[in-house]
Amino acid sequence: MSREATDNGILVEGLIKEFPGQRVLDGLDLTVASGEFVCLLGPSGCGKSTLLNILSGLDGDYRGTVRFGGRAMAPGGKPPLTIGYLFQEPRLLPWLTAERNVDFALENSRVPRARWAAIKDHYFALTGLQAFRHYYPHQLSGGMAQRLSLVRALAIEPDVLFMDEPFSGLDELTARRLRVDLLDIWRQTGKTILFITHNSYEATFLGDRVVVLSRGGIRNQITVDVPRPRDYDDAALFQVGKTVSATFIEAAEAAERGRSEGTAHPD
Amino acid sequence: MLLKLGSMLAVVAAWFGLSLLLPATVLPGPWQTLNVLIENVVDGQVHQHLLATLGRVAGGLALAMAVGVPVGIVMGLNRFAEKTLDVWVMVALTVPSLCYAILAFIWIGLNETAAIVAIGLTSAPSIAINLWEGVKNIDTRLFKMARVFNASRWVIVRRVLFPQVLPYIMASLRFGLGIVWKITVLVELLGRPDGVGFQLFYWYQLADMGQVLAWTLLFTLVMLFIELVILQRLERRLFAWRPEVRL
Ligand SMILES: Nc1ncnc2c1ncn2[C@@H]1O[C@H](COP(=O)(O)OP(=O)(O)OP(=O)(O)O)[C@@H](O)[C@H]1O
Ligand SMILES: [Mg+2]
Repeated sequence: MSREATDNGILVEGLIKEFPGQRVLDGLDLTVASGEFVCLLGPSGCGKSTLLNILSGLDGDYRGTVRFGGRAMAPGGKPPLTIGYLFQEPRLLPWLTAERNVDFALENSRVPRARWAAIKDHYFALTGLQAFRHYYPHQLSGGMAQRLSLVRALAIEPDVLFMDEPFSGLDELTARRLRVDLLDIWRQTGKTILFITHNSYEATFLGDRVVVLSRGGIRNQITVDVPRPRDYDDAALFQVGKTVSATFIEAAEAAERGRSEGTAHPD
Repeated sequence: MLLKLGSMLAVVAAWFGLSLLLPATVLPGPWQTLNVLIENVVDGQVHQHLLATLGRVAGGLALAMAVGVPVGIVMGLNRFAEKTLDVWVMVALTVPSLCYAILAFIWIGLNETAAIVAIGLTSAPSIAINLWEGVKNIDTRLFKMARVFNASRWVIVRRVLFPQVLPYIMASLRFGLGIVWKITVLVELLGRPDGVGFQLFYWYQLADMGQVLAWTLLFTLVMLFIELVILQRLERRLFAWRPEVRL
């Protein structure tokens, strides 16, 4: 698995998304370089999942432009490259075993059948699930189910990986292990990753850059200039984390104010 | 299983007790009834009537499912369909089954087709409602998952929608069977020269309680067999992936 020469960057310009009675995204601009790991941090309800739904082609009802590696995505169309998506919940098919769930994704992908076995072996081993391939989702713990959905997202060899708070429901120990695994996979494959979280320190540990969202758009961006591999106890990392955390709290408070003003003076 | 057996024995015992208190022309005991049933079987008249009834049940159920399942699924998935159809399903449910039977026999004639149409149309609304309620519980987030993973519309219908709807189809099959049995008997006494319903009505007119109960017993036994042995096994097979519920 070598780094690809093609451009898998994302360029979002003037993205506007409205739901009945509210404008969730108000002219959002975002650039993610090819192979970059960007974390999106923002208060609950500020439109993070909404943004991923638009970028992945699930929601075609928006204004503005979205480009992947220079190729524009038609509103209502599909992204012009392969997307791996880890949802906020595992979203596994309960009537299929762990392995068949991964097969389901592979069957609809461009990965040639000859390579399926090797790919599955690799990621099942990496996530420690090889003994559970024949288990049904209800027989897996929450953390195992989330790891399985990580296997599914990675197995189709996506160019871009979207992750929506994938580790927020896990215990800290499992989450720590998975973060390190994720960084290993990212280092080996050079995918572009957009990672949503509520956790400032998780964002700092993982990202090249942390983008803090507030209501409507981007509030601030912080580049994490800490060399990799990173250590959880790194003092420099902790310092950046504190800055990120302060910005995040500011953004959350601004969102609160915006919401109460919004109800006081509806426009 | 033991619980089921116990409760059945209790009912038979109660039947036996009551039959001792009442004259045999009003309530023959279980033993007498079983004897009449066995005599009927030995006579060779049972299987002809039973097969006629079973054929109508199967045909009526197939028609009811063919109409009710698609209507229920569409109503559960599509809000527009739900709003336009729900009144009509309610109307169709309210019309007494006797009306369907009379109309079918008048319009189509006193034949097998009319009987099956009457049975099917009477039960279809209940099946549609059953499925409609069920399909509302479907996890639509799985459709989004499938779309992100590039599944085509057909793949989504076949591999994401269908497995989720199947439990509700099976439930409505069992539920529909219960309704179809009852309507079949009614339709038979109204316009058919054979079948369990015809026999019941015949012996009722002759005021032969032994025969009435014998046919009722036969009917119940066959129904229990289909429900407990065939349908439950089929369900266990189809839904092996489900977490086991132990009571
Ligand atoms: N289908 C929808 N219809 C109407 N409003 C919606 C819909 N989906 C989301 N919203 C609204 O859009 C806003 C953003 O929702 P979104 O799910 O993107 O938030 P989020 O940032 O992902 O929050 P969280 O961190 O809690 O997951 C919320 O105010 C929500 O009420
Ligand atoms: Mg969200």
